[in-house]
Amino acid sequence: MRDKIRDINSARNAKLPPRAGTPRRLAAIVAADISGYSRLMELDEEGTHVRVKRIQRDLVEPSITEHYGRLVKTTGDGFIAIFDSPVEAVRCGIVIQQNMAGRNTSLPKDHWIEYRIGINLGDVIIEEDDIYGDGVNLASRLENMADPGQLYISGGIYEQIKNKLVCGYESLGDRKVKNITDPVRVYRVLPDPAAVKSRKRRDTVLVLLISLIWLGIASGALWYWLPHSKLRIQTNQVSSEVPNVTQAPVAKQPSQLSQSSISPTIADQQARQQTQPLPSAAPAEKQAALQTPLATQTSAIREPEMNALRGGPFMMGSNDDPSEKPVHQVTIKPFAISRYPISVREWNECFAAKGCAFAATGKDDAPVTNVSWSDAKQFVAWLAGSTRKAYRLPTEAEWEHAARGGTQTKYWWGEEFQPGMANCKNCADTVVAEQPVKLGSFKPNPFGLYDMGGGVDQWVEDCWHKNYQGAPSDGSPWLDSDCTSHVIRSGSWKNDARYVRPANRDSYDTNVRYPTHGFRVALSP
Amino acid sequence: MKIVRLTLLAAALTLPSFAVHAQGKQAPKDAVLYFVWPQNGATIKGGFWCRFGLRNMGVTHAGDDFQNSGHHHLLVDVNEPLDVNEPIPQDKNHIHFGAGQTEARLELAPGRHTLQLVLGDAKHYPFNPPLVSEKITVTIK
Repeated sequence: MRDKIRDINSARNAKLPPRAGTPRRLAAIVAADISGYSRLMELDEEGTHVRVKRIQRDLVEPSITEHYGRLVKTTGDGFIAIFDSPVEAVRCGIVIQQNMAGRNTSLPKDHWIEYRIGINLGDVIIEEDDIYGDGVNLASRLENMADPGQLYISGGIYEQIKNKLVCGYESLGDRKVKNITDPVRVYRVLPDPAAVKSRKRRDTVLVLLISLIWLGIASGALWYWLPHSKLRIQTNQVSSEVPNVTQAPVAKQPSQLSQSSISPTIADQQARQQTQPLPSAAPAEKQAALQTPLATQTSAIREPEMNALRGGPFMMGSNDDPSEKPVHQVTIKPFAISRYPISVREWNECFAAKGCAFAATGKDDAPVTNVSWSDAKQFVAWLAGSTRKAYRLPTEAEWEHAARGGTQTKYWWGEEFQPGMANCKNCADTVVAEQPVKLGSFKPNPFGLYDMGGGVDQWVEDCWHKNYQGAPSDGSPWLDSDCTSHVIRSGSWKNDARYVRPANRDSYDTNVRYPTHGFRVALSP
Repeated sequence: MKIVRLTLLAAALTLPSFAVHAQGKQAPKDAVLYFVWPQNGATIKGGFWCRFGLRNMGVTHAGDDFQNSGHHHLLVDVNEPLDVNEPIPQDKNHIHFGAGQTEARLELAPGRHTLQLVLGDAKHYPFNPPLVSEKITVTIK
């Protein structure tokens, strides 16, 4: 191969008068380096050196030759090679990466040697033992971008290989590269071609969801500014459905509200409850239909029943599961949280107002299920927009504070599980045919909140973190700029008693719906 | 008359089975679900990346109902048999990859663990018959 290149060079030199004395040619440039090389050297200098040399001799050099490439130079922790064919260059990269993955499996993680590889197609200047040109720089930049064990290619390489090499490619979009004027299209080469489709689709779904959220906010705002007469008609319709509601458990529990000073929202709720007819009181219905709009003059939407909590310090977490450690003190600011998870009826009001993406199925007084975190965010955005109140998802700390109800025990009622206290798997003697059961079917906790544990899983605002190392201590949501999974709390009717514990936490993909996932809302004062 | 009776009988026999397996989608016969890594019997120190392989089918986002596609579920230390008439459970032992992930970082407690992949359809139901990988055992040091 080396001879061949010399041949080309000498042929050109022979025919043409020497220009700047530097032959150029188009080549696929492979730049590779070992991630964490200095760390590896620090761990075991001689051992690492020997291993790297052996890898270069046994794997890198033969692979390059086998794919008709030429090793231009090796650096301490990497190499640069050129290939005539982009297909061969990428093949070589894949072979090296797969081989390294195999070699690493028998080793502890901190001894892994992992290459990052970047491949670019560029017009380069070739010298005996080095190559130059921004095509080389770009290959190095791609290599720097790549995660350990990954192979990144430029758009130029991709165009050449896309229909020739059966592997997956994930577009990472146009990336701005240091010292290179135009953005460069970057692709990640995936081991499994099937993985690509879904990634693309996931992006589409994400874009769709974001636009839907905006639509939700916009339509919420629009709703607010609609002529008032229309709102009144809507309210009448809503309240005429009231006889289906069973308000009994709420009516029995007014004392539960004494947890703290009652916010205007709650006063509002109580006023409304008084005006709402009992299921049997049919004649009162019309009267209520007239009264209800008066009671809720501030907005046309039936707001969730909220319990105001005083907040204060509490110990969050437990030692029962690694994800719940360390137990740490969090101070919660006063806030209100919905007494129940959001119901099918409440959800469908959002859907009817075009604030939510789909119509929920199930009984009106059952919790809404099959909602993703993004769906839940749509609902709170709609609710906040149409009521002009700061409705939101609770933070993870707020949720646990509310679920504990002022207790520090394993369950809010004590250290031992008691059957019949929560809707979970194998938690009662009788099997319920239809799940999830009606909201408020079990005892409320000391804060007067129902279904905080069991029933439906409940989304909170926070991104998922595998434990509480570095968690905020002020009750604010723990967010990252880009999180693909969020925290779910409470456990569901399909989980066993361990999941009912207020400290229990789990995660789920942000944009994915699952049949046991619901949510409740919070309100800042 | 006999034919009618036989048809009715056949209908009566097939209908309930349809009702029971209402969700059961069929996976292509040549579809293979497997672990790219780790291999059965592997001994691993600390956390590791578990990589899922699927041949002759596509991986999609949960909720996307395309022909011959599904998303991965990883069962860790699960001994109960899989119920094809229920969505694949979601808990600490049934890890879902509804965003179409084909790999996951696992941090398991030291000791022996079993791992098995199950492909789920758009609504998280297993295929029928279920498309599952070999159940492998790994040891975490």
